[in-house]
Amino acid sequence: MRVALCLCFAVWALDGCASQELSIRSLPPETPAADNAAAIKNAAALAAVATAASHGPAAEESEHAVIPLTTADAPSMYSYDPWERVNRFTYRFNARFDEAVFLPVAYGYGRLPAPIRSGVHNFFRNLDEVKTIINYAVQLQPAAGAHSLGRFLINTTLGIGGLFDVATKFNLESEPTGFSMTLSRWGLHPGPYVVLPLLGPSTLRDSVGLLADFGVAYGINLADLYRGDKTWAFGVVDAVDQRANTSFRYYATGSPFEYETVRFLYVHRELIEDDALHVKDQPKVRDVDKPAGQ
Amino acid sequence: MKHPVALALAALLCAAASASGAQLDGASAETGPATGLADSAALRATVFGTAPQDVAPLPESVPLAEINIALPWVRTVPDVFWFDRRLRVWFSAQNKPAPLAIVISGIGSDGNTAKLSTLRAALYGAGYHVLTMPSPTFPGFIVSTSTTGVAGDLQQDGRDLYAAMQQIIAHLPRRVEITDIDILGYSLGGANAAVVKSIDAVEGKLKIHRAVMINPPVSLFNSVARLDKLFAISIGSADSGVERLYRRLYTRLANLYRMSERVPNDDTDLLAAAASVLKSDADFSAAIALTFRIALMDMFFAGDLYAGTGVVIDPRHPPRPGDSLEETARILRGKPFADYFAQVFAPYYLAHRPHSTPESLRADSNLAIMGATLRSNPDYYAQTNSDDLILDKPELEWLQATLGSRIAVYDHGGHLGNLGERRQISDMLDMLSGHWRESGQ
Repeated sequence: MRVALCLCFAVWALDGCASQELSIRSLPPETPAADNAAAIKNAAALAAVATAASHGPAAEESEHAVIPLTTADAPSMYSYDPWERVNRFTYRFNARFDEAVFLPVAYGYGRLPAPIRSGVHNFFRNLDEVKTIINYAVQLQPAAGAHSLGRFLINTTLGIGGLFDVATKFNLESEPTGFSMTLSRWGLHPGPYVVLPLLGPSTLRDSVGLLADFGVAYGINLADLYRGDKTWAFGVVDAVDQRANTSFRYYATGSPFEYETVRFLYVHRELIEDDALHVKDQPKVRDVDKPAGQ
Repeated sequence: MKHPVALALAALLCAAASASGAQLDGASAETGPATGLADSAALRATVFGTAPQDVAPLPESVPLAEINIALPWVRTVPDVFWFDRRLRVWFSAQNKPAPLAIVISGIGSDGNTAKLSTLRAALYGAGYHVLTMPSPTFPGFIVSTSTTGVAGDLQQDGRDLYAAMQQIIAHLPRRVEITDIDILGYSLGGANAAVVKSIDAVEGKLKIHRAVMINPPVSLFNSVARLDKLFAISIGSADSGVERLYRRLYTRLANLYRMSERVPNDDTDLLAAAASVLKSDADFSAAIALTFRIALMDMFFAGDLYAGTGVVIDPRHPPRPGDSLEETARILRGKPFADYFAQVFAPYYLAHRPHSTPESLRADSNLAIMGATLRSNPDYYAQTNSDDLILDKPELEWLQATLGSRIAVYDHGGHLGNLGERRQISDMLDMLSGHWRESGQ
């Protein structure tokens, strides 16, 4: 009953927000000089990678093992979405929730001093290393697992409980994985497209992966963070941090086809991931007449 | 939440957004069929934009506010456009009295594109309040602001923009003190800016001082016809062409990751990869043409819905928010601007404008109709490139002859591929402040 009342209130509140005549919302300031400096650095790094790739022997060596895809191996342009009506409804709900609640909070959070925000961000990403280590173990990827374990140990100790990402400074870059990727290694297809309430676009496999990863984190209960009321507080801060670091804006396209566009991009990104994980196998046989994911 | 990554993939197909500076060596190794519309450098510049090291100095920090406004004349909003009820614009305020620069976006784009962000930074750094607005062809504008719902008529769009600007300026916080108003726009927005200034010259409600057009079209219809031609050459007609393009790019992107034996793990990673799979002139042409076609799809959909022309939407049973639009999108992907003109635009305006003909409608969307003003009024300026692919030679010559010393023509950049460069920005600021001729041009 209480849940129903809360839902009614939420729907009413969201409707109210949409009907305002004028709103002026101040956003975190843009930092063009720093952004451009970062772009210059990025471009230089990319050029270096490209040069290394075209001259280095590594590319040639791996080509022997890797079976390149041909255009016939590409999956269908259309995505498998048997629950489209519900998904569209959820997408619309998410858009309204984002506009009315999630974004304003994330923008407010964005005005906190940068060191605090990066501390929070690093802390939660460090917690994520636990599921990464476990999944690499299950995927039988000892090297990658050790890499992530190293990151976790360094950041938890030298990085003071994960507040500082010291490992990246030691060139141990983050390489997250999750149960969805484990399932993919085991040969599972993404399955139907799903729009999760509040969390957004996903697939059946990703949803299962998300749930399993949370279950494992809950089971391990690192530092007793996953029990009692503080779990909710942590969850909310984590969500706000993730939202603040995600530039996506619902209906920024203004387009009636946004749902289709996002679905296409999400599902096909996942399929590219799949193809990248199975480099030594024969390419998956795909029925071009069936939508991708079926 | 993998949204930004997903949008990075959009860059694969829309490439215009992928100005990540990924000018990779060896990317020109392949060359595709010449399109005859633009040379390789122009296509490449158009796709990748200004390299970050060539960007003009920009300020450290630019304040930004988002304004959502429900305009009093808004028409009944169709269910399928529920999210576009209010006009959304972006505003950066100086904390002292300052001139206001209004910037209008390019075809089909909203008021906060990467290009607008660059212009905003440069203008704010030069001491302007900056208001950035969507193109009147952006679906959010068509639904919230347009009085017709059928976008693409320069005069009508100009009037809608002008009315919206008055409302927005009236609602700005009181502490914002505006000393003067100038107007700019890029691409179609450039032509929109000139038309708005000419409307204001008659109505006098905003007293717009100077206008700068950045890479404007001369004839909207000629320019889009060129983009349609680019689509036909580089992608082919309709569905099978898009499917082929998709397969080509998907395969390349997947192989890129297979070769490097890693999984795309963040958005910059995938964005860079997506940009680097575009290699040949044919790829660049396809990316440009498809970007334009995607913008047109929205405009076509909205126009057909509002005008009730029934091309892809049954006027008696308009789509509801829960309905799939996949099939509609598929049909619209195959429709060039010529179809929009013949099936939506012309039927609507011919019915609503007595004595008009298809020829007169075309003429109305040509800057030539305000040629006399452009020639004699010293407050109109333009910047363009000799290799801009939306202009043909006579059109460029017409612009030069009409604006005389008030146009700067650069020898590179294609369409908007030098926006943000030091020279482009400093010339633009000189034009806006009236120092252009004094600086020796």
